[in-house]
Amino acid sequence: MKSILILNPGAALFVFLMGVSAAALTMAQTQKPDRDEILATFTIRRALPSEVEGWKAGREDQLFTRDDIFDYMDGGGEIYLAYDFQFVFVREYIREGAPSIVVEVYQMSSSEDAYGVFTHDPDGDEADLGQGAIYGAGLLRFWKDRVFVRIMADRETPEAKTVVMGLGQKITGAIPGDGEKPGLIKFLPEEDFKPKSLRYFHTLISLNAHYYLANVNILNLSPETRVAMARYEREGSQARVLLVEYPAVDRAVDAEGRFTEMFLLERFAADRKAEPKKLEDGKFAGVARNGRHLIIIIEADKKQDLEWLIRSISRNLEGSKP
Amino acid sequence: MKKRRFARTVTRRDFIKGAAMGTLGLALYGKGGTALAGVEGGTSPFAAENPQSVVVLIRNEKAVGAGDKVDAAVVEEMIDTALKAFSGEAEAAKAWAKYVRADDTVGVKFTRCDWMRVHTEQAVIDAVVKRVGEAGVGKDRIHAQDGGLPFAKCTALINVPAVKVHTLTGIAVAMKNYINFSPAPSKYHAPATSLGEIFLLPDVKGKTRLVVVDFLRPYFGPGPQINPLHRWNYHGIMVSNDPVAVDSLCLSICQAKRNLFKGEPWPITPPPDFIAAAEKTYKLGTGDPAKIKLVKLGWEKDILI
Repeated sequence: MKSILILNPGAALFVFLMGVSAAALTMAQTQKPDRDEILATFTIRRALPSEVEGWKAGREDQLFTRDDIFDYMDGGGEIYLAYDFQFVFVREYIREGAPSIVVEVYQMSSSEDAYGVFTHDPDGDEADLGQGAIYGAGLLRFWKDRVFVRIMADRETPEAKTVVMGLGQKITGAIPGDGEKPGLIKFLPEEDFKPKSLRYFHTLISLNAHYYLANVNILNLSPETRVAMARYEREGSQARVLLVEYPAVDRAVDAEGRFTEMFLLERFAADRKAEPKKLEDGKFAGVARNGRHLIIIIEADKKQDLEWLIRSISRNLEGSKP
Repeated sequence: MKKRRFARTVTRRDFIKGAAMGTLGLALYGKGGTALAGVEGGTSPFAAENPQSVVVLIRNEKAVGAGDKVDAAVVEEMIDTALKAFSGEAEAAKAWAKYVRADDTVGVKFTRCDWMRVHTEQAVIDAVVKRVGEAGVGKDRIHAQDGGLPFAKCTALINVPAVKVHTLTGIAVAMKNYINFSPAPSKYHAPATSLGEIFLLPDVKGKTRLVVVDFLRPYFGPGPQINPLHRWNYHGIMVSNDPVAVDSLCLSICQAKRNLFKGEPWPITPPPDFIAAAEKTYKLGTGDPAKIKLVKLGWEKDILI
């Protein structure tokens, strides 16, 4: 069981609730945490100053769970609910004549999902904080262990940036350990990988947010699936990879069939290898399955790149087997 | 193995065939050989000679100043100028009188999204409310709201949205601005071709007289929460009476900005195919760029269309 990093030792109930194993990924909570108790025991909250460089904690601290995330971000909570999001802690710092600064701490049940949310929007400059951080125009995002953090100044000023980064440091200091990145991404080749192109998620809503494949769930994505998506570039030629891990082989086979017939528009036979197909835009698409993993290559400028990617990922998957 | 039948499935390949991968939401028009066929034939989109819909876009460099401060006086003048051009009237008062009567009860439906911080600027709301009042509508019969707007008792609606690319619907402008008129708004927070049905609700149908789009500081990023790097000062106001045409145009401009930002195609996703459905299924207006005429006024720099 993973260590509990952000709650004080007395919060036994929450130790139980937050200690959900990543292997037993489930979007349904078995027991609803009490928000007052979470607030009272939330170590990161205690680590945050009530005042910093003249900015004072403004409104009362807020906490939203899966049940009421829409009260905080109506029309935006779906992206977090698509991961195993547990709650978000929100504090606003205000100073007269200066931009307000909002701290949001998203508690996920696994480090894999904290990393996944972090990959949702990679735009910004890398910063040295936590296990990965991006800063741009007043917005700092980073992840560490099972926590994803956003700290945003309403408007960027040199002073506000200093405070934003300082608050980030306070938060990372309150999270003593590191978490693992999703194991799935290790199967992607490092060679010719396009920086910042990696996304990690579970469900259709996340796929749609990054890459539209169809108006239906061709790949049978669900909270139980794990998806790593990335782009590659070799000598100016590009390709996109979707690597999907299913909980069981039969679900991978079904998704392979759906992709073959609905996207490639070819007849599917589980015992027959599908050939890469040149699409209407001149680019290549193809699919291959390795046990409960589905490898999909799309938008490949060259057929040989598609084949190289399938070969490389298959080799990595094979190499991981006992 | 028997080949499966998948009715009503639209995949990325259908959009590829539409020959407009840069703008997924409009690509379906290409399938019928209309809008984007026009582009191939050398006719620019949004330049229809016999348009089904007209949209006026006005831009002013001074509309947004240092610190992203919006100049209310400039905005008011922009709205008046755009409405005069749209209506064909020489005076603002006469232009407004074409769309609002003194005995109307008017709902000014703006966008308020505090958590995302992309919402209709107060200067735009104030300018519209002021002119509606000057058209003779009493203060007690002007309802400028987002949530809770009493649209059932309104005889006229003025749709005053902000512009943002949206993780769940593709783009959120005039069509999505009415989402909270629905008793079940969350059902449209997904790729939903049915967004147009809200405009046909009995208490909404036929009431929209004008669309005044706050295009001053739009958002082109993936969301759901704002990344300030994805917000830009466009300095624009858009006026029309067709919410579908407005959405079609905003989609094109936001798509162009995204491509510019990344230096390569960055298609808006999911594709807002509710735009095509609003035209074809719900008959609410014109989404097809080949049938829309855009009138451009003012500042042309970085207009992106």
